[in-house]
Amino acid sequence: MKKYLRLIGVLMKLSLMSQLEYRVNFIAGVAVELGWMLVKLLYVAVVYRIGVNISVFTPNHIQIFIGIYVLMTGFYMLYYPNFAGLGQMVQSGELDMYLVKPVSLQFIVTLRQWSFPMFLTNAIVGSILIITGWQKAGLAVNVKQILGFLFLLLCSNLLTYSLFLIPYLMCFWIVSTGGIESLSSALWDFNNMPYMIYGKWIQRIGTFILPIFIITNFPGLFLMGNLHPAMFVWAIAAPVLFFILARILWKKAVRNYTSASS
Amino acid sequence: MEIEVKHLKKEFSYYKKMVGLSGSLHNLFHRETLTKEAVQDISFSVAKGEIIGLLGPNGAGKTTTLKMLSGILYPTSGQALVGGFIPWERKNAFKQRFSIVMGQKNQLWWDLPASDSFYLNKCIFNIDDQQYIRTIEELSELLEVKELMNVQVRRLSLGERMKMEILAALIHRPDILFLDEPTIGLDIVSQQKIRNFLRYYNEQKKTTIILTSHYMRDIEELCERAVIISQGQVVYDGMLSKINHLMGDKKVLTLKFTEDISIHQLTSFGKVRECKCREGILELPKEGLRKTMADILSCLPVEDFTVTEIPLEESIALIFKKEGAVL
Amino acid sequence: MNPYRCVFQMGIEKSLEYRTNFVLTMTSSIFPIMIQTIMWTYFYGHTDATVSTGYTYSQIMVYTLLATLVSQFVSTSFAWQINEDIKRGGLNKYLVRPVHYGAYQFCSFLGEKIPQLLLLLLVAVAVIFFSVTVFGLTLSGTRVFLFVISLLFALALNFFLFFTVALTSFWLTDVNHFFATISIVFVVISGGILPLDIFGQKAMLLTKLLPFGYTTQFPVNIINGRYNLQMVGIGFLCQLFWIVFFGLLSESLWKKGLRHYVAVGG
Repeated sequence: MKKYLRLIGVLMKLSLMSQLEYRVNFIAGVAVELGWMLVKLLYVAVVYRIGVNISVFTPNHIQIFIGIYVLMTGFYMLYYPNFAGLGQMVQSGELDMYLVKPVSLQFIVTLRQWSFPMFLTNAIVGSILIITGWQKAGLAVNVKQILGFLFLLLCSNLLTYSLFLIPYLMCFWIVSTGGIESLSSALWDFNNMPYMIYGKWIQRIGTFILPIFIITNFPGLFLMGNLHPAMFVWAIAAPVLFFILARILWKKAVRNYTSASS
Repeated sequence: MEIEVKHLKKEFSYYKKMVGLSGSLHNLFHRETLTKEAVQDISFSVAKGEIIGLLGPNGAGKTTTLKMLSGILYPTSGQALVGGFIPWERKNAFKQRFSIVMGQKNQLWWDLPASDSFYLNKCIFNIDDQQYIRTIEELSELLEVKELMNVQVRRLSLGERMKMEILAALIHRPDILFLDEPTIGLDIVSQQKIRNFLRYYNEQKKTTIILTSHYMRDIEELCERAVIISQGQVVYDGMLSKINHLMGDKKVLTLKFTEDISIHQLTSFGKVRECKCREGILELPKEGLRKTMADILSCLPVEDFTVTEIPLEESIALIFKKEGAVL
Repeated sequence: MNPYRCVFQMGIEKSLEYRTNFVLTMTSSIFPIMIQTIMWTYFYGHTDATVSTGYTYSQIMVYTLLATLVSQFVSTSFAWQINEDIKRGGLNKYLVRPVHYGAYQFCSFLGEKIPQLLLLLLVAVAVIFFSVTVFGLTLSGTRVFLFVISLLFALALNFFLFFTVALTSFWLTDVNHFFATISIVFVVISGGILPLDIFGQKAMLLTKLLPFGYTTQFPVNIINGRYNLQMVGIGFLCQLFWIVFFGLLSESLWKKGLRHYVAVGG
């Protein structure tokens, strides 16, 4: 465990150094992300413009949900290049170089590169949205609230990693992965708005079968005191379950690679 | 024995496609699986500290064999023990003991100095600081890359990059080393330097090395023994000196003339492989090549010429024939 | 392996894969529209959004469905090609021939759009039919006609807008991120995601003064019946003005850039 934490540190450092090699690209990366941010903020603006309440939540609360969505996007983007590059890695056989290293293959392949420009933009804007929304909504600020919130964010990160790794594992069987990429990012955007706007069935599917709604909604619901204890348990259990599932599928994919590739 | 390979076999499966659109549709529902044997039946062993060459034309199964010995591929059947481990179990203890360098794949971070990638390997292999510093000192000295340690990999030449790849592979001081085409695409000088390093390293550290290459020169200089594979099978396993003998020590001379030449004008100089209009290809013994060349140049209207080795594919065909004759 | 068999095998695998890819991509392009329609339905169901936005429920739905189509239709992708031409010396082959580079790009742009236009038209007809029956959109022949005209103007305007942007490649070294940013930002400020005039009088004025709205928001709102004939007329004049403006701007940028290009030596 200690080795892996240290490795994450080293990998992050190397990634950051690589990205700073091209300073202009780094800044430009931030600019593109700011462009996308405009799209997300547009929704915040609409919510305030209309002054809509979603379920019991005021625009201030909705701002928190959107803020969490932006922040989680930042965390996801931190290691996303590894997912997007998985297909290329399998095809070029670069994977071979990691198969012979005394370290978990899934770890070194999925958490090797860390992308900071996109992370920074999303993390900063997301945090501002959450904190100002928190204040304006007059929600309590105490240790229990903050720790619980941070803990749920941690769970959400594990869930994001596991849930969104699974479709990319198809790279081990098929060559063109553009479709996987656009589908998974379209699914991600369902969290642009709190899940209460969707119909009952979409809500159920998105909570229990393909639990993307947990990622951004549950930490928010917890802050607002609206997370049912049973759902709190599910918010912890789902990431663990899906991590195990992703792990099993990963092993299957690698077994396929080592027995079939040429 | 450090490495023991017994009846190793690797099959890849693929699907048969029937001709035409109806075939495509048929294929959707029912596919006939065909298999291709990349490695049919390979057995050999390597003693500790030995350096052997794995030789063969493209597609002979060299890389597939090395991949199985590294645990990258599962074999279809057969056994192998590398340093006492079954490679495809991919135990960490095994990975700590060996290393593989593939000429066409890189593990260095493109935009960073190689030293950063080395440090990452240090962390992955759990090497203590003292040993790490000593290893880097020593190897960078030997490979003559000390001044390049802080230059971004993308700014290095191909040869320098390959040296760094080798260094990266040796940081955990493996006692077994697999090299797959380590000199591919490099210029003669770089090839030579890498060969010199490998020979020295093998002598000093008693590292067991398997080297594949389709440059005969690599193998000649480094290995006493070679295993030749063709179409997934071992066709020769023995001393190199004997191969040289089998190959007949010959060179190929390609000539271009300023006017048309007939075949009987060439036969007196050596075995004629081809002769048409203004071009001729001759097979000549290495010995006395200089003199024969001088004779040709003085007798015939030569415009241009090149001297090459007999291609490995041909030599292997030759070995095939001769071995068959012996048996 | 037999090389022909190998190629065959690759062919079928590829086509199957592309089909999977196609289905996945199509599905994923439906999702954003789905999210938006759900969102608007919720907003209009729970508040008096007609007052705050100035759009009726049916107008906003028609807008959501059509804006994506229109912004797809006017979208361009030649900026990267132009950058390549400028950076890698591909421009030379145009300079030695009696062709106008901008005109060449415009023709090739239109050529690419034709097949896309047919497909989009089919979808648009379906969407409009759907809007008429479900959202009670009322249509008139004049409005459809004006919509098509405005669409063509929008196409030309967007071409010149992006052509102007693309010509900055003469001076910028790394344009990929810049182009990506511009594309996203332009879609947003053209009203490609949602109509910007819902944000009040000032926003409405701004969208009328700036060129961007005329590429997406203006055509969609013609079919939506938000403009009377007089306003459509003014809109057309604005479209024409901006087309001429960016046409001239790109022409002068082209001349300056070329001088720069020749001086630097490609």
